[in-house]
Amino acid sequence: MYLVADISVEICAAKSCKLCTQYCPEANTIQYSDEMGKDRGFKYGSAYVAVDRCKGCAQCVWVCDNMAKNNAIKMIMIDQLPMAALTDNITYGEKSTTAVLASPVVG
Amino acid sequence: MSLDYVKFSNGFEKFMPKEYRDMVEHGPFGKKVSVSQMGSFKEVLEEHPMCAGCAMTLFIRLAIIAFPNPEDTITVGTAGCGRLAISQAAIPFVYGNYGDQNGVASGLSRGLRLRFGDKPKDVVVMAGDGGTADIGFQQVLHSWFRRERFTTIMLDNEVYGNTGGQESGMTNRGAVLKMAPLGKKFEKMDMLQMAKVAGCAYVATVVPNNPRRVESVIKKAVLIAREVGSTYIQAYTSCNIEYAIPTDKVMEDAKTVENDRYQFTEYVSEEAKQYLTERYGYKEFLAKPAAPAAAIPGKA
Ligand SMILES: Cc1ncc(C[n+]2csc(CCOP(=O)(O)OP(=O)(O)O)c2C)c(N)n1
Ligand code: SF4
Ligand code: SF4
Ligand code: SF4
Repeated sequence: MYLVADISVEICAAKSCKLCTQYCPEANTIQYSDEMGKDRGFKYGSAYVAVDRCKGCAQCVWVCDNMAKNNAIKMIMIDQLPMAALTDNITYGEKSTTAVLASPVVG
Repeated sequence: MSLDYVKFSNGFEKFMPKEYRDMVEHGPFGKKVSVSQMGSFKEVLEEHPMCAGCAMTLFIRLAIIAFPNPEDTITVGTAGCGRLAISQAAIPFVYGNYGDQNGVASGLSRGLRLRFGDKPKDVVVMAGDGGTADIGFQQVLHSWFRRERFTTIMLDNEVYGNTGGQESGMTNRGAVLKMAPLGKKFEKMDMLQMAKVAGCAYVATVVPNNPRRVESVIKKAVLIAREVGSTYIQAYTSCNIEYAIPTDKVMEDAKTVENDRYQFTEYVSEEAKQYLTERYGYKEFLAKPAAPAAAIPGKA
């Protein structure tokens, strides 16, 4: 098993600065969804990780902790993530994306 | 090459992979995208085998987003780590022998001008420090002296990363590497000064811990190269493998190195300033309104 980044919607949606989306070295990996925070009653949306593209470098953790000062991202073993975003389940919209979460191990 | 080259042929849409459909329908082609929209549109860069956490990967990702017309751009690369990612983008990529990238780009950019006339087709070279300052040095300098109109970007990780840690001309004096165990004995080459002497119209240094700045320098360099002359960007893109930087500290290193010895610098020739202002509406080079004359104490 290996580590991937996991973003807490509750913590991210309070700030939603999108910094991590600009600092992840991998393309199309940290995505942004307006709905993901708003559908839980938060003012903003949230960033989330397409875990099938994440290489586990933890750069986003450093960026959220030290630049955004929001501590919303943790590294977690992929089989410990009950639900996650995967590229196949992401839909692009005009200004944001939506993701249907699924088990990253079972698919 | 144009917007049409990415579109589906009639009836084939349903056979294309999701990533491809997303790219055609929600990618940057034919639109203006910026780093502030990252995470909300499909990027043209796909998965690639560069190391986890590599700052060069981040820089390439940002650079591709910053291309002013991605659908009218060709990238040129050479041996080294960067080509592993640059080649995995939906932008035509030309790969020659090690070090011949600026020769290839010269021919390509001239050929595109003959074929397409005034319609801009941007040529962007991205190569390592070894590829640019050592093996490709002669072709790089000559392309600049000839004022070839394309952009050269050095992905400066200060080492030969792809072949396991030999020193390059851009390695710092004293640096100890796997295959330079006694430490480098010579100074880092001053390619910025050489670019200016050789007549580049735009020369900038940048570090990827400032995505908006990367975007801004790439845009200027590519636009100036359309008409004014050669442009050069030197980007610090650390090799976390050869310099043993923990991947979660790569941005901290970038910040330290930026403050220490890789500060942002930008040289823009007078002709290039005028061109950006008149042709693309840049405001930053306009003469500042004269400050009101300071009162001189003791004078009425
Ligand atoms: C003519 C030739 N000589 C040597 C090589 C082997 N080679 C491949 S990549 C490389 C070094 C690349 O270093 P650099 O240009 O600094 O790029 P980096 O990998 O550090 O990004 C070398 C020597 C080659 N491919 N072709
Ligand atoms: S850096 Fe942190 S707070 Fe900002 S968008 Fe990313 S996860 Fe959210
Ligand atoms: S761990 Fe690295 S690859 Fe994964 S989302 Fe964070 S920055 Fe991107
Ligand atoms: S060897 Fe170094 S420069 Fe090359 S991909 Fe790995 S970390 Fe990046």
